[in-house]
Amino acid sequence: MSTVQQAIADRRTGVVARFFASPMAGMTIAIAAMFVGFAFAAPNFFLPANFLNILIASSTMGLVAVGESYLIIAGQIDLSPGAVSAFSGMVIAVMLKNSIAPMISVPAALLVGAGIGYLNATLVNRLKLQPFIATLATSSLFRGLAFIINDGKTEQIFNKGFLALGLERYLGLPISVWVLLIALAAFTILLRYTTFGRSVYIIGGNPVAARLAGINARRLVTKLYVMCAALTSLGGVMLASRMNAGQPTASNGLEFDAITATVLGGVAFSGGSGSMPGTILGIFILVGFNNGLLIMNVPSFWQYVARGGLLVVALSFDTIRQLIRRR
Amino acid sequence: MDFPGVRALDNVSFTAESGKVVSLLGENGAGKSTLLKILYGDYQPTSGKVLIDQKEAVFRSPFEALQNGVSVIYQERQLVQNLSVGDNVFLGHPPRRLGFIEGRDLNHATQKIIDEFGLPFKAEDRVWELSVAHQQMVEIMKAYNRKIDIIAFDEPTASLTETEIHKLFEIIRKLKAENKIVLYVSHRLKEIFEICDDVVVLKDGRFVNKLRIQDATEEELVRMMVGRDLKGIFQRLVHTTSFGKVILEVRGLCNSRLTDVSFALREGEILGFSGLVGSGRTELMQAIFGVDRYERGEILFDGSPVRITFPADAIRLGIGLCPEDRKQQGIIPIRSLRENIVVTIQKELARLGVFINRQKEVALAQEQVKNLDIRASGVEQAIMYLSGGNQQKSIVGRWLARKPRVLILDEPTKGIDVGAKAEIYKMISELARQGIAIILVSSELPEIIGLCDRILIMKDGRISGELARAEATEEKVLSFALPH
Repeated sequence: MSTVQQAIADRRTGVVARFFASPMAGMTIAIAAMFVGFAFAAPNFFLPANFLNILIASSTMGLVAVGESYLIIAGQIDLSPGAVSAFSGMVIAVMLKNSIAPMISVPAALLVGAGIGYLNATLVNRLKLQPFIATLATSSLFRGLAFIINDGKTEQIFNKGFLALGLERYLGLPISVWVLLIALAAFTILLRYTTFGRSVYIIGGNPVAARLAGINARRLVTKLYVMCAALTSLGGVMLASRMNAGQPTASNGLEFDAITATVLGGVAFSGGSGSMPGTILGIFILVGFNNGLLIMNVPSFWQYVARGGLLVVALSFDTIRQLIRRR
Repeated sequence: MDFPGVRALDNVSFTAESGKVVSLLGENGAGKSTLLKILYGDYQPTSGKVLIDQKEAVFRSPFEALQNGVSVIYQERQLVQNLSVGDNVFLGHPPRRLGFIEGRDLNHATQKIIDEFGLPFKAEDRVWELSVAHQQMVEIMKAYNRKIDIIAFDEPTASLTETEIHKLFEIIRKLKAENKIVLYVSHRLKEIFEICDDVVVLKDGRFVNKLRIQDATEEELVRMMVGRDLKGIFQRLVHTTSFGKVILEVRGLCNSRLTDVSFALREGEILGFSGLVGSGRTELMQAIFGVDRYERGEILFDGSPVRITFPADAIRLGIGLCPEDRKQQGIIPIRSLRENIVVTIQKELARLGVFINRQKEVALAQEQVKNLDIRASGVEQAIMYLSGGNQQKSIVGRWLARKPRVLILDEPTKGIDVGAKAEIYKMISELARQGIAIILVSSELPEIIGLCDRILIMKDGRISGELARAEATEEKVLSFALPH
């Protein structure tokens, strides 16, 4: 069936046909529809200042989406980012309270994040827990510790040097946005142009065959969990600096936003396929959509409903297209 | 039954009568499986129809097919591994009382069928505990229990031993005696002559011929399916008699599945491993290749002792393994042919060992495609769209890309049609002549005897016998392999 479709797609080399055959078609159309919709309903959406808002709002979730993309392509998943982000925020806040300089406390917080990633990997690799279960457990564990570390209280941050991370701008963009943009670029290159990225696709495509072809799947999976948690931790630290505080309740549901963005961008849950450009589109459409609804003063309850609709429409595009073609 | 004008299958029509076993014969890609899937309501025909008892039968799903007395047993087992035999036999229609499953009735009824078939397991056994052969029997019992009129088998003997095949044939004869229609798909001509009444030959999705089995000869059928004569393929292969030095030596290898296995392999030699399924052949290869651990014994490569803990260690030495289960362990289905071929050597091809060098990858993949005559629309085609034989050649190509010194082939022709088999035999013989040492694990005796310079036979995790090419016969190999 699909070979036939591919043959058809190959023969019709028209730009339009090729576009419709590509997995990103659904996303691109969704973005176009979003822009057109907001052009009428929320003209403020198109102000440069608002685009900056979208970038800032994406900064933490975007980093997590990068980590999730790699993991899901490799056939794994991480449900702990919300907790890891909050815990990292608390760790940095508490360290700063004890007057540990940002030069030390920031790397230390990232190291803690990486350690949680290593823990996730160990649960999956050594104790053979399902990734879903393992990271659900660490999520609960570190959400709890985020409360325990400071008796459940929010910890205000006063360290000027650290707060600069959220306030200072270079070339008109906040540091957190620069971090996101650089990370997106670097991880796009890593996934697409290096053997490391290739191996991520291979173990997601068939882990047994990957092992027999000499890829050390365990070590790779460990690196991916560490990477995802460290990126999350970085996101959590930046969030704390924007909020002037470490909050144990922060980043609730962060992982689901990130997974939504990843899946919107065409990364398949079955593993072995997807791309960073897709994820990047997914991040900005998700955040842009929220932002637009906010500008339109849509009540937040309805924002959830709308987001669910977006997910269904964007992801069923491929199936709907096939149904139409068959008719 | 009729299949007139089914597309993808080009205008295939034939009839099958009650109480007959009809074989569907053809190379991979000839359309046999497609035909069965349409019959089972898994695929919908673009045109043409299926007639049962002169009435048109339209099945939109396997469920509808089953309700109308049609069952197809696919190559891949469709059992729920965690449930019991009884649960599987009654899958979808368990005996109920007040809406609750009546477990005792279910097990009782299942046990009756098991006894009728004369099988050694129980209705309460979990399916995953059973051997592959017994799982296959459960599939048949599942169909049998549904009181079906038409039952189709797709390559039922691919993973069965001789005794198990014998058992299967008894059951098929029983179905035949009960006036059912049995459709039987297999590549193994010997079996077709043994069990079938009629044979329908398909080639490239077209109907070639239907004949009664007593009117057919093996040569004739092969010629119809492949359009060429396979007989004598082994005689035409050129064998080397002068081997190089010992490249791989295994001394006293032991683990939970192996006992004191020792052998030596020379450059340019084709060493066959025969034995029953479960005799330890695959386990031995996995231990050598670093997939499984070995507890005692040692492996010498090129004269010096080596420690192989991961497949990557074996690969670094120059050993390649084409695994037994091509789909589960060999191919990376959704990735391209290029990525599948270069996977073993991607680091070496990359710039600075990190950045993918696409030109080199394409060149290397194309070289393998050309040398091994892999048929694909291009190196960027996803490997899952290739036929079984071409997938197998691609997996071999994956190793040849690294210029291996030892190549282990575990059941390289499993589920591959006759034409592709001949090509693989030629390829193996050619590789040996280039000086690559080859280990061939195979359950097909003609292949082991026709191709190998020396044959080691395994039984219960030990090497139970050794035969040189000149003295090897099927009887001798079997006498070492079978339990006494």
